[in-house]
Amino acid sequence: MTRSKSRREVLLGAAALAGTAALPRAASAGQEKGRIVVGTWGGDYARLLHKNIEEPILIKDGWEVVQDQAGDPERRSKMLAEQRLPRGTSDVQGLSALNMFQMHDAGIVLPIDYGKLKNAGNLLPAMKYPYGIGQIYSGKVAVYNPKLITTAPVSYKDVFDPKHGDKLGIIDIQYQYTLVCAALAAGGKVNDIEPGKKLLLECKNAGMRIYPTNEAFAQGLKSEELGTGVMWKARVVQWQNAGISVDAVAPIEGTLAYVSGFVIPKNAPNKEGGYAYLDAMLDKSAQEAFAVDMGYNPTVSNAVVAPDLNKRIGFTPDEVKKLVDLDYDYMNKYDVDFKEWWDKVLKS
Amino acid sequence: MAANGPKQFQTDEAPTSLLSATMLVGPATVFVAAGLLAPLLILFRYSFNRFDPRRMMVETFSPDNYVKFFADPYYTGVLWTTLRVAALCTLACLVMGLPLAYVLARTQSRFKNVLIMLVVLPLFVGNAVRAAGWMVLFGAKGFLNVTLMWVGVISVPLQLMYTEGAVIAGIIAVNLPYMVLTLQSVIEGINRNVEEAAFSLGANPMTMFRRVLLPLSLPGILAGTILTFILGMNAYATPVLLGGPKFKMMGPLVFGEFQLNNWPFGASVAFVLMTATLGLTATANILVQRRFRR
Repeated sequence: MTRSKSRREVLLGAAALAGTAALPRAASAGQEKGRIVVGTWGGDYARLLHKNIEEPILIKDGWEVVQDQAGDPERRSKMLAEQRLPRGTSDVQGLSALNMFQMHDAGIVLPIDYGKLKNAGNLLPAMKYPYGIGQIYSGKVAVYNPKLITTAPVSYKDVFDPKHGDKLGIIDIQYQYTLVCAALAAGGKVNDIEPGKKLLLECKNAGMRIYPTNEAFAQGLKSEELGTGVMWKARVVQWQNAGISVDAVAPIEGTLAYVSGFVIPKNAPNKEGGYAYLDAMLDKSAQEAFAVDMGYNPTVSNAVVAPDLNKRIGFTPDEVKKLVDLDYDYMNKYDVDFKEWWDKVLKS
Repeated sequence: MAANGPKQFQTDEAPTSLLSATMLVGPATVFVAAGLLAPLLILFRYSFNRFDPRRMMVETFSPDNYVKFFADPYYTGVLWTTLRVAALCTLACLVMGLPLAYVLARTQSRFKNVLIMLVVLPLFVGNAVRAAGWMVLFGAKGFLNVTLMWVGVISVPLQLMYTEGAVIAGIIAVNLPYMVLTLQSVIEGINRNVEEAAFSLGANPMTMFRRVLLPLSLPGILAGTILTFILGMNAYATPVLLGGPKFKMMGPLVFGEFQLNNWPFGASVAFVLMTATLGLTATANILVQRRFRR
């Protein structure tokens, strides 16, 4: 026969149990450095951040990392909505260089103190933005299917040529970069895209196709309804790996660069964690792993990329010299106008 | 009534029923007010602000965003496209859903529950996933084109993807279960004897439908029509995935403006969409009820 427990015994037992349960937590709290909330795109990007940066460097070092996965428009909207709050909900945010500038221009992101990044010395000067760091980069190259386009294009001008008719394709979601590439093809500049608009209209009248997404563009290349266009070199490598017949050429006008980077919001609850994340991103091992896994170029000088991989994803020293960057201020100022023209005139 | 009743009922019942009513209505009201009305009011206020590329949103009170919408044929065109697609989808759902709902309501089959489950089944799959299925069907090398080419009906693939027809087919597939389930529950509540009475008085099936079934099932038709029309007006995934870059409806337009950080204009487009949907729904409701009350 078992004796029923008194209320005091039950309470004592519960207290002892709670105390025991708290022990490992208390012990681990001593080792933990805190939580870093990172806003990032989902899919492969999020997976590779975890595999190459968070797990081997930050978590190992005692940080807890939480990913807030969403498209960059949603995350930018969130940053804007949280702008007036003393404490935001993220410590670091992944954005394209253009969007990093946009958030900086809106006064939302923290100026980077490069003294707090021990890997900053290796960061390429062009990737050292006052308001964020460039993590990876690629360039908008001319792409073509050699089966359909027998003379390889050497320039954006060769791509945006009305003679291609419906074998030329562009991507709806890449309106900003497409407009600038067309401007360079038509003799314009990164801050004067009017000639590009005219050229795009000529191509449209000749039958140019507009694909909604990068994936639909790839599908067009695969089914051979499409012969040429412009795309990130890193993405071309992924398509080649998927068996699509496509080659890439760095255009003679200079390759339009795409930089993906990270910023720290001014109201980040854990700014030190944000800096730790940025520093881990610039680690040699993380940068090399991203080149292998994602096909984008490292932004640090000490990363070593195998020659065969570098031939596919990288650019020659001459091509690197000729990389063209967007005029962020110009693009940001006229972005809505460009999109309205794209929707109302080009797509109509 | 209560005022004329015995005193003890007046004193005992009134506070209790008031308390019960508050308890019943309160949580939902608070939830809706906090979760829907407050954000709507904030968004409505934003729609009168001004967009600035650097500062994103500048506080002001101007109807410029609404003027811009109604003065630009591009935006009014998007609104008309949305209205046309939503109306066509609603009509198609009603025409296809009514016979199906009638059969489901009147069947004595022991598989009735299974049949209802089959109608509900598509709702278990998200809109985007269903649209992906349509993409496989409609693509240049999709099932439909490949089959037609194999049979020899066509020699070059038909352009089915990125057309208004593809969007309409996709939205009908999404909305049809809502129409069928709404109609089925209402028709089930109509006594079968009234139909038999009409037949026994010499009505043919069409007359019985027009004079008996249609007026009695009107609440269900109205509810189903309103539901599918609202869903059609606010469709997002289907127009984006099946309509392609050149096809624009109001839902994707609202999202597009927010993507550009143009919250004031995005908010005004959202309110135009909401007002058009509510206005048309209320008008249709009033007109139909008046017509059948006579």
